[in-house]
Amino acid sequence: MVPYILRRLLWAPVILAAVTLFTFTLGLYGPGDPVQVIMGLHVNPEVIDRIRSERGLDRPLHEQYISYVAKAIRGDLGESYTYRGQRVSDLIFGRIGVSAQLGLAATAMALAIGLPLGLIAAVKQGSWLDTAVVSATLFFYSLPIFVTAPVLQILLVLQLGLLPTGGWGGLFDVRIIMPAIVMGVPSAAVLTRLMRASTLDVLGQDYVRTARSKGLFERIVLTRHVGRNALLPVFTVVGLSLAGLVEGAFITETLFGIPGIGRLAVDSLFARDYPVVMALTLIVAVAFILANLFVDIGYTYLDPRIRYQ
Amino acid sequence: MDSRRIIVGVVLLLFVLVLGLGVALAAVLFRGGVGGTGVSAPAAGKAGTLTTLGADPPTLDPALAGDVDSASYIVEIFSGLVTLNKKLQIEPDIAERWQVSPDGKVYTFYLRPGVKFQDGKPVTARDFKWAMERAADPRTESILADTYLGDIIGIRDMLQGRAKEASGIKVIDDTTLQLTIDAPKAYFLAKMTYPTAFVLDKDNVQARRNWTDRPNGTGPFRLKEWKKGEKITLERNSLYYREVAKLERVNFLLAGGSSMTMYENNEIDIAGVGLADIDRAMDPSNALNKELTVTPELNVGYIGFNVKMPPFDDVKVRQALTYAVDKEKVISVVLRNLVEPARGILPPGMPGYDSSLKGLGFDVAKAKALLADSKYKDNLPIITISIPGTGATLPPTSEAIIEMWKTNLGLKVEIQQVEWATYLDDLKKHRFQAFEVGWVADYPDPQNFLDILFHCNSLENNSQYCNSQVDGLLNQAGVEIDPEKRIALYRQAEKIIVDDAAWIPLWHGKSYLVIKPWVKDYFVPPMVIPILKDVHIEGR
Repeated sequence: MVPYILRRLLWAPVILAAVTLFTFTLGLYGPGDPVQVIMGLHVNPEVIDRIRSERGLDRPLHEQYISYVAKAIRGDLGESYTYRGQRVSDLIFGRIGVSAQLGLAATAMALAIGLPLGLIAAVKQGSWLDTAVVSATLFFYSLPIFVTAPVLQILLVLQLGLLPTGGWGGLFDVRIIMPAIVMGVPSAAVLTRLMRASTLDVLGQDYVRTARSKGLFERIVLTRHVGRNALLPVFTVVGLSLAGLVEGAFITETLFGIPGIGRLAVDSLFARDYPVVMALTLIVAVAFILANLFVDIGYTYLDPRIRYQ
Repeated sequence: MDSRRIIVGVVLLLFVLVLGLGVALAAVLFRGGVGGTGVSAPAAGKAGTLTTLGADPPTLDPALAGDVDSASYIVEIFSGLVTLNKKLQIEPDIAERWQVSPDGKVYTFYLRPGVKFQDGKPVTARDFKWAMERAADPRTESILADTYLGDIIGIRDMLQGRAKEASGIKVIDDTTLQLTIDAPKAYFLAKMTYPTAFVLDKDNVQARRNWTDRPNGTGPFRLKEWKKGEKITLERNSLYYREVAKLERVNFLLAGGSSMTMYENNEIDIAGVGLADIDRAMDPSNALNKELTVTPELNVGYIGFNVKMPPFDDVKVRQALTYAVDKEKVISVVLRNLVEPARGILPPGMPGYDSSLKGLGFDVAKAKALLADSKYKDNLPIITISIPGTGATLPPTSEAIIEMWKTNLGLKVEIQQVEWATYLDDLKKHRFQAFEVGWVADYPDPQNFLDILFHCNSLENNSQYCNSQVDGLLNQAGVEIDPEKRIALYRQAEKIIVDDAAWIPLWHGKSYLVIKPWVKDYFVPPMVIPILKDVHIEGR
C-alpha cells in the first residue's frame, strides 16, 4: 500500500508540469492581453510594452516558464494583473477555504439525502415510492441554480423571514444553509439515481440471494451486503466531484454573496489574469490528484478484494 | 484496520455534519419564528452607518487605479490638488487656489495651510511631487500615468526610463507647487482631479508591500478594514481639512448577492435596479417608486463603422444604415426606456452637450434612396457587426436593429459575438467591419469623446474616421482658452461627425438606484467624484 501511494505521488510533479506547461502556452499564444483588458477601450501601445517588459512577458516562452516554475516552487505565485499590486497567493488562499467549506456542506447534504433515498428506491423498486423518488430526482436535477436560489430566497427570507439573504460566516453559520441546499440538491438527485442503479445491480447478485437464504435479517442484508457493495461506484463519483467543488460554484457564490474561488476563477479567465489562472489550475490539478488517490485508497477498505501493489 | 469501522466512522462524521446544519437551521427557525421580522445583517441598522453593496476594487492604490470601481473608493480615502463638485466643475481641494501663466503652460498651486494626512502628518508640496513621480516610475506599472500626468514635462521621459525626475514638477516651498506642461491645454486641470495625481505619504507607501491595506490618505474617510472579496469599511476622518463627514462609518459588502432582496430585507440602504425589477420600481403605486433615483450617466453606446472597409468607405451606405434604425422604438420596446436615445456623440450632462442637435433620425425613404445612390447599390458585400459577449443568444437590442435593416432596406446583416479580451485585440487591430460598443467619460470634457474617438491621429479612433476639417476644429478647440468659443468649436465638429455617420449613436445610459428614505443627501453622480461626506442618516 505505502509503495503504491509513494509511486502515485512521484507521478504528481510530472502531471503538474504537463498541466502548467499546457496552460501557460495556451495563455501566451491565445488572443487577448491582460494589460489591454485593464485598459479597456483605451489604447496606448507604449504602456502595454512598458508593462509587458516590466513583467517579463516579452521574453521567450521557455525562459518565462522556467522562471515561473522556479518561483512557484518557492511559493511565489506572482502578482495579479487585475488586482493591481496584490500577490496571487493572498488573493487565493482566503477564498479557497471558503469554497471548500461550502463544497463540504453541499456534499454532506447530497450524501445525506442521496444515499438513503437511492437505497430505499431500489429496495422498493416498482412501488409508488420508487416512482416518486425517480421523478422527484429528475425534477430537482433539472432545476437550474438561478431558479432555485431566488425561489429559496423569496420563500425563506422575504416570506418567512428565517434567514439573511446571503453573505458568509463559515461552516457553522446559518448563512451557509441556503447555498448548501442550492448546490447540494442537484448532486443529491444525481447520487440518488446512481445509488438506486447500483443497489439494483447488487440486489441481483448471487451473494445477496445466499445471504437471504441463510436466514439473515433483511436489515443486515441491506446494510452489510447490499449497501456496502453499492457504495463502490458512488464513492468514485463523490470523490471526483469533491475535487470539482474546489473550483466553486460560480453562480451560487455570486447569488449568495460568498467570497469564494468561483467568481475569481471566471473573472481571471476573462481578464487574462495569467498568474491567477495558473495558480488556480495548479490547485485544481493537485485537488484532482489527491482525490483520485483517496478514492483508490478508499476502495481497498470498501472492497477487500482490491489490492494495490 | 477493519473496514467496517472506517465506514461507520465516515457515516458518523456525515451524520454529525448534517445534524449540525439541522440544529443551526432549527435554531434560526425558533429565533425568527416568533417575531417573523427577519434576520438582518448586523451591519445595517445603526444611525451614522451606511451599508451598501460595493464592487471588489482591483486596487486602492491611486497610481494603479484605472477603473471606476477602484476610483470610487480612492476618491473617498485620498484626495488631490483639485476636485470635481456635484456639477462636475473643477473646484479647489488641497490647493486652495492656483494661477495659470499667460502662455497657459505653467500652473502654480497654493496649498491650504494645515492639511494633514490621516495619521496627523502635515501634507507638503514635496508629497505631491513624490506621488506623481512615483506614478511615473516604470516599476510602479501605472496604466494611466501617461494619460493623466503625461502633459507634465518630464513625466513621459520617466515612464520610458530616460529620467529619474520630472523637471516639470517644481516644489517652490512647503505649500507651493508648480507644474509645467508641454503645451497650453484647457483640459489639464480636469486631469488633476483623477486619482493618479493624488497626494501620497511616502513613508506609508514604502512601509510595506500591501500598503493599501492600511493607507494613510487625506480624504474625508479612512480605510478601517478591507477584507478582500468580503467587506470594506470606511470611517470618518476627523482630521479632514474641509467640513468633516457626517457619516461615522460606511460598509461596502463586496461579495455581491441579490441586491433587491437584500434591500427589501433592510440589509442594505442602497441598491441598483435591474431590468427584472424596473417595472415595479417605475410603477407609481409601488412603494419602491418613492425611493427610486434616476441619474444620467456620461456614456454613449454606438455602432461604429470601419470607414476603411467596404461597404463603409462609402458615406452613403453608413448614412443609409443610420436612417433605417428606429432607435426610439428599440429603446421603448426592448429597453423599456431605461436609456436615453443618442442623437449625437456627447451625453447629456457633459459640458458641450448640444440639445439642439437632431442627428440623422429615422427615415426609411431617405435610407433607401441613399443606398440606391451608393457605389455598392447592387453588389453590397456581406455586412458583419461584431459585438462583445460570450452568450449563445444575441442581445435583443441587436436583434431588433438587424430586423429593422432587413425590413426597411432588405439587408441581411450578420452578428458575430467575440469574447471581451479577444474583442479588444481585434478592435485595436481594425479587424472588424462594424462593431457595437460603448464609451464612458474619463473626465468631463468634450475632448475626452470627440478628440479621442474621432481625431485622425488618435489610437482610440476605432472607426478610422478621418476628416481634416474635423481635425482642424478639434485642434483649435484643444488650445482655445475661452470656454464658450471652445464649446462652439466642439459642437461644430460633433455635427460634422454625426452627419458623416462615422457611428450610429444609439443611447446614453441612466443609473437606477433605490435609496432608503432615511439616507439623506445621497447624490448619485454621473461619474466618479467623492460623494459620501455629505450623506447623513436620519430617522431610521
